[in-house]
Amino acid sequence: MTGDAPSDDALLVLFACGEAQAARELTARLGPRVFSVALRVLGDQAEAEDVAQEAMLRLWRMAPEWQPGQAKVSTWLYRVVMNLCLDLKRRRRGGSVNIDDVPEPPDLGQSAPEQLQDRARADALQAALMTLPGRQRQAVVLRHIEDLPNPEIAGIMDISVEAVESLTARGKRALAAALAGRRAELGYSDG
Amino acid sequence: MADNNGHIDLDGLFDAARRDSAALPEALSERILADAAQVQAGFAEPPARAPSPGLWRQVKALLGGWPALGGLAAACAAGVWIGVSPPAFLPDPAGLVSAAQSEVDVLGGYSLSSLYLEDG
Repeated sequence: MTGDAPSDDALLVLFACGEAQAARELTARLGPRVFSVALRVLGDQAEAEDVAQEAMLRLWRMAPEWQPGQAKVSTWLYRVVMNLCLDLKRRRRGGSVNIDDVPEPPDLGQSAPEQLQDRARADALQAALMTLPGRQRQAVVLRHIEDLPNPEIAGIMDISVEAVESLTARGKRALAAALAGRRAELGYSDG
Repeated sequence: MADNNGHIDLDGLFDAARRDSAALPEALSERILADAAQVQAGFAEPPARAPSPGLWRQVKALLGGWPALGGLAAACAAGVWIGVSPPAFLPDPAGLVSAAQSEVDVLGGYSLSSLYLEDG
């Protein structure tokens, strides 16, 4: 973001005042992150789209009550997304899946070799993520893919920083174990 | 990109996942913006106001509703009836108004000025 770009706070206030362009800017800025994190946590495109749309709808509705400077809009949104994901998981009962049950990645067409490898690794990671318990998966995604600091994750997940550290440590160990047999397939070599 | 123990480099996988981050589908973006327009249209409408109650409703509410009004009406009717046709044991109010002042001398002939002098 440049210094001239309005903050998320300011855009939300503009939206509440009826500025339509603010909705477009906020959607462009926050929509991809909301959808991406929902997709990582849920592992399902259609469900991730529903969650992203619902989270953004709640943002629009909440805009008139938003108090600039009290919290980060993105943190509020992450929290909504995580809660929606948990609700969805409770409704469908279960949540962890066998790594072999994760659907095959889509046809990658004429992508460059580096992109192909990135995609293969991202898909392998996604498949391994889906074997983790829900809260572990959320913590790992927020910490290591969304790159959020532990205190912010603690606020999003409504747990202590120590609990975040514990979840992410256990999650990484579980991921390493799930991916241990796929080194060669993912282009890694020992040494 | 495996470490010396032959473990997967998870950080490398996380980096790949960040680079491979999903873009917002166009159709989803349009649905989000349609929701935004609908919510924003609601902001423009003045908040719905309940119609102001009439004077009679306000008085009724102030006095306590129909039960209080019923009691008030009964008390008014009883007062009017007693005024028009008073019971026999009550003195005639018209007589009370026109009656002469009592002539009993409660001081028994003493003068107030002389009583003050005795105290002082």
